[in-house]
Formats: sequence, structure tokens, C-alpha cells
Amino acid sequence: MNQPARNTGNARSAAASSIADVPLMEIYRHQSRISAVDIAIRQGISGGKFQFNYWPMTGQENIPAALAPNLTKNDYLVTTYRGVHDHIAKGVPLRGLFAEALGRAVGLNKGKGGTAHLTDPGTGSMLTTAIVGSGAPIANGLALAAKFRGTDRVSVVSFGDGATSIGAVHEALNLAGAWKLPVVFLLQNNGIGEYTLVPGYTATRQFVDRAVGYGIKGIRVDGNDPVAMYRAAKDAVDTCRSGNGPVFLEAVTTRLGAHYGVAPTNHLPKEQLDAAKAAEPISRTRRLIIENAIATAEQLDAIDAESKADVQEAITWALAQEPTEVNETFKDVYTDSTTFPDPASKRPAVASETGAEGPTAVMSMAEAICSAQDVAMAANREVIVLGEDVGDPPGGVYLTQKGLQAKYGADRILPTPIAETAIIGAGIGAALAGMRPICEIMFSDFLGVCIDQIANHAAKQRYMSGGKSHVPMTIRVMGGPNPFGGNGAQHSQSLESWLLHIPGLKVIYPSTAREAKGLLASCILDDDPTVFLESCKLMHTNKGQVPLGDFRIPLGVADVKRKGKDLSVITYGWQVHEALAAAETLAAEGIDVEVVDLRSLLPLDYQTVFESVRKTRRALVLHAATRFCGFGAEIASTIAEVMHGELKGPVRRMGGEFTPIAFAKALEAVQMPRAAAVTDAMRQIMTRGDR
Amino acid sequence: MVTVTVPLLSMGMSEGKIVEWFAENGSVVAEGQPLYAMEFEKSVMDIESPAAGTLTHKAEVGTTLPVGAEVAEITP
Repeated sequence: MNQPARNTGNARSAAASSIADVPLMEIYRHQSRISAVDIAIRQGISGGKFQFNYWPMTGQENIPAALAPNLTKNDYLVTTYRGVHDHIAKGVPLRGLFAEALGRAVGLNKGKGGTAHLTDPGTGSMLTTAIVGSGAPIANGLALAAKFRGTDRVSVVSFGDGATSIGAVHEALNLAGAWKLPVVFLLQNNGIGEYTLVPGYTATRQFVDRAVGYGIKGIRVDGNDPVAMYRAAKDAVDTCRSGNGPVFLEAVTTRLGAHYGVAPTNHLPKEQLDAAKAAEPISRTRRLIIENAIATAEQLDAIDAESKADVQEAITWALAQEPTEVNETFKDVYTDSTTFPDPASKRPAVASETGAEGPTAVMSMAEAICSAQDVAMAANREVIVLGEDVGDPPGGVYLTQKGLQAKYGADRILPTPIAETAIIGAGIGAALAGMRPICEIMFSDFLGVCIDQIANHAAKQRYMSGGKSHVPMTIRVMGGPNPFGGNGAQHSQSLESWLLHIPGLKVIYPSTAREAKGLLASCILDDDPTVFLESCKLMHTNKGQVPLGDFRIPLGVADVKRKGKDLSVITYGWQVHEALAAAETLAAEGIDVEVVDLRSLLPLDYQTVFESVRKTRRALVLHAATRFCGFGAEIASTIAEVMHGELKGPVRRMGGEFTPIAFAKALEAVQMPRAAAVTDAMRQIMTRGDR
Repeated sequence: MVTVTVPLLSMGMSEGKIVEWFAENGSVVAEGQPLYAMEFEKSVMDIESPAAGTLTHKAEVGTTLPVGAEVAEITP
């Protein structure tokens, strides 16, 4: 609420009119509410009334309080585990917040996230991360959506000074600057990164100086001063709203509590802590309001009493609610519960392709991938592509976007900096806002650069938010050796097992151009984050007739590429072709091999695997990825568990050797299974004798 | 009846020692009133009552208890 300046004719009027632009009462209300929550949590935990993880924001109340009058619920907020104050100022309801903190079914996120993972899209609180700095790339994506849609929404990402050291924040600042995104990077500089003080972890004299390096606007302000903080926040938000963002806003404050918990352990030097307590923002705001005759102490006390009562009511209500039940365990992992890798599941539920009729053309896998994106982009303007070098020219390093930027424009085909964390984070943010981003990671080996965004954020957001939000993004990743070899240890790996270990992701691995198109189309339309793995070896060498239109192959349906009765080979990706070549060799020897192409590793079509092995009673699981701890071990052990009595011999696994991949082609050639070695393995299985 | 337990006050905490009872056994306490002082990780903190009612001590001064152990009962 804006308070008019009081023109009382006394000495105070000049001061009052000089702060007439600042809605001090509204700021105080936010501070009061934040403080009431903080005090109630600390008292409740220390008294044993309840127990949950809490990272106090005591002393930092003014920053979101003075920011709040500049935002609406349409503006986006991404914050961190210490951001309970950010949520309250954004308008997150107290009952839902406490129920979440207490692990109740009616919590904002069904008790599956807790305060460290709070999501409340209704108030614009889009995501809370417990990974320091990881929110910044995601805030970019939300801002990208806001800008793309032509809205004036602003995305605010709140983080502490500890986060200024981590790569995600740097990648995000750089990308936001390059793309002029409406993001306020709100640094709540509380002087201490968990337990380590400045300058223990940085030689930077003022964090705001970093803005210069990224070519963006920087503002530094006393975060405990309600007037200065309000004006700085207004400047930052207005700058972004008017299309002149991003802004790096450093709000200097002091954390008065512990890093974690409610013990009086702060780790600041005593003099510094005493000085900080004296500069505490709430009493400062009170003084300012009273001195300027905006309200009386009694009126402010009444606000505090109201805040306290609201908080007590919310806690009492939340404590009376039922805890989240065990039957919630498997909900909100995926859109569809049949995605779980369950051997008893009767997948595939939907087996039929759509759009296969109509004209076709011969395409390489790269062209088919381009075609799938083309069709999806034509159908939905909110399908966008982000990745390194995806613009024309070259249209992607493997030409998988060739011509698309010319056709759809530079706001839909977005060449990025070489910064995988920024790419995936931007995709996640855009997806949270409801867009359908396709992110390209040039080589699977770069997954390590961005695995936090994929594993901790894209994969888990549906679950952590109790189904309140989800990340419908597609991550295309090229991997494995190239056709000529020589890509070496950091550009040749097959890393699907990394991804398959993360609940929440879907993992697809096509072996032909036609299937690449149909499966990618389904990925783009899927409501879960999908990782689409492409074999470098096949991108230009695998060609076939591909439908030109909206052709889709459902996820989670394996394909029998060759029928046989003696031995089942279960494989995927480029290894399918090694298996098929081996099968042809053995056919001449009278051995009839069946080749099952999984196509989709998760959801996984166990039934087709079991049907095949039930017929042949012998199985070889084959992949290019390192055999040790590889996906083949999972498949092989599941076959053994389910079909033990039906097998003629043990299930055999074949995979990459347990070495980094060599540059020398002679070495590379024997490090991953090739047709000749696969043929030998098949022969051994057939000649070792049945039991 | 409310059970007062040893709170988890910081990440490194596993147990706490009761160094002083501020509220006597059998006395009537108010919510938020300091009940006892607890020593942990070389610091001492006053622990406030989570509820109002009649206090029954369940642990003596000098006892070291694990997080979650019963310290007192409060009967409304």
C-alpha cells in the first residue's frame, strides 16, 4: 500500500516527502509476516514442537519485502533452500507452506518437496533448489518464455553470495546478457557462504563488479535499508520489464542465524555480528515509519500481532492435517505410472504408429531428426530449439537443424553459448512456463557438464512439486563413436546408464532414420523430460524411407528387427546393426538369431523381450556402453529372475571394455562390440551346450 | 499431553546435555517460556516450551540424551 506523504509543515515533512515513493507500510507488512514465520519455526524446532530442515533467513527479511511491491503474481520467482522469506513475500499461502514443511498430504507439494523444494505456480514461485546456484539457469528459461510470448513478466532468481562461486550462475549471467533476458539476478549477499566467510572464498571485492564482465547492468544496495532496497529493486524490475534486462542486483545484508538449524552458531566474528544485529532491517523500518509519522508504534504492533496470529493459525492447522501417505510414493514420478521399469507391467499399452501413411522420402538419420523438429515446430509455435551452433549456417554440427532457423526465425532456433548448464537450465525454465523446448547437447560426453540440471531439476521437479509442475522438455544428445573412429575418450562414450539411474527421465535410443523421426516426435509431445540419444555413427550413414508428415512412434515399444528361433539378442542404437550383421553371418551357418531393438530404454518394453527369450530360450544383451554396471546387467538379471527355469543357459552380456576409449583406431575397434566379435559371442552361446 | 523431546538444532548435533531446569517439576508453564538450558556442540541454548500446561520433568540436570529423547511432558 502506498502511503501519501504527510504535509504537516514540520521538519519531518521534507523527510517524509523524500520517501513518498516508497510503500513502507506494505514493506513492513511483508517483513512482519516473514519474521513471524522465522520466529515460529525457530521456536517450534527448538522447543521440539516439530522438526524439519530449516535454513534461517533471519536478518534478510527486508530484501524480498522491499522487492515484493515491484512484482505481481505473474512474475516468476526461483529461489533457494534459504528462500522461505522470498516465498512469503511472493504470496505463498502460509497454511500450504507449513503443511509442506511438516510433510502433510495437503502441503503445497504433498509433502514431497519440503521448504527446500517449494513450488507454487499460482503465486509465481516456480521452483526452489537445494543445489547452490542451480536456479539461475532455470530463471533464464522462465524469462525466455516471458519474452518469447511478448509479456512483460520478469523472472527473479534469488541466491546467496555462496552461489557466486559456482559455474551455473556464471553460465546463466552470460546467457541472460547475450539474450537480453528479463531476469533480476538477486544476490542476497549475507557475507557468509554456509560457514565460510568472504574473502575466504573469493578475491572479488564487490560482487556487483561482475556485472561489468557480463556486459549487464549492476546495482549494489544496502539490503537492510527499506528505502534504498525498494528503489533498487524497482530500478531492476523496471529495467527488465521495459526490455532492458538483465540486471545483477547485489543486496548487502547479514545472516543473523546459523547456516542450518536454530542453534546460535553463526561463525561471523562477534563485532561483525553485533554490528549486523544493530543494523537489523525490521527495527530500522519501524523507526523510519514512526519518525515520518506514517504510522504509530501501536499500529505497527497491531500488524505484528496479526502476523503472529496468522502464522500460529497456519501452524495449528497444518499440525492437524494427515501426514502424506505411503501410497503417494510412486505418484508424480511420471505422467503415466506405466513408465516404471516393472517386469510385471503389461506394456506396451499403446503400440501403434501414427502418421505412417502418406508420402515418404529417403532421409539420413540427421535429416529425419530435422524433419521431426520441423513438423513439431510447424504445429506448435512454442516448440523451440536451444543448442550450440543450431542456427543456419551450419544448422547444427550434424545438420540436424539445417534450414530450420531460416524457416522459423532466430527466436525459435536459438544458438547458445558453449555452456551446457545454461542450455538445459533455459530449457527447464521454458518448459516450466509451458513451452516445449528441445535442447541439444552436442556430445553425450558433455552430459557431465549439465547433469545437475538434468538429474536434480528436470527429472525431479514433477515429484518435488507433488505434481504441481513438470518439465516437458526434450534433450537430444549425440553419442558413441563416429563412423570413422578417432573421436577419443571424451567424444565417443555411451552414457545411457547415467541417465537410466535417475527416476523421472525417459531415455530413448533409436537405430534407424525412420524410427528417429517417429520417436523424436513422441518425445517432443511427451509431458516428461525425455533424453533422446543419437548414434554419431548412424547420423549420416543410416538412410531409409521416412514419412514426411506428423509421424509418431509411441515410446516404450520395442521392435523385433529380425525374427529368429535360436537366440535372442537384446540391443539398441548403432549396436542393432552390428547384431543384424552378425545374425546374417550366422544364418549361413544354420543359426537363426532374433534381434530385439529396445528403441526405448525407459519406458522399457519388457514383454517383447520376454516373448522373444521365451521362444529362443537363449539371450545375449548387447550394447556399446561399458559392460560393467551397464544397462545390459539390468536386462540380463531381470531375464534371469523372471525366466530362470525356461533358459537353456545363462544370459550373456556384451558391452564396451572397461577402459577410456582410445584415439588410435586399432584400439577403438576392439573396445566396443563389432559384428565380428558379436558373431563369435553368438557362436559360443550356441556351441557351449544346453543344459 | 505434549512430549518435549531433545530438538535437532544443527546439522552436526546428535545429543544434548541438560544443564539447568528453569521451570520446576510440577509447575504450570506457558508456551514459549524457557524450560531448560541444553548444552550441545560446546554451546548452551535455552529451550522454550512448545505448549502450555503442567510440566513433568523426565530427565535430570546433567543427563546427556540423544536427539528425539523425552525430556518432559506437558499436560494441558
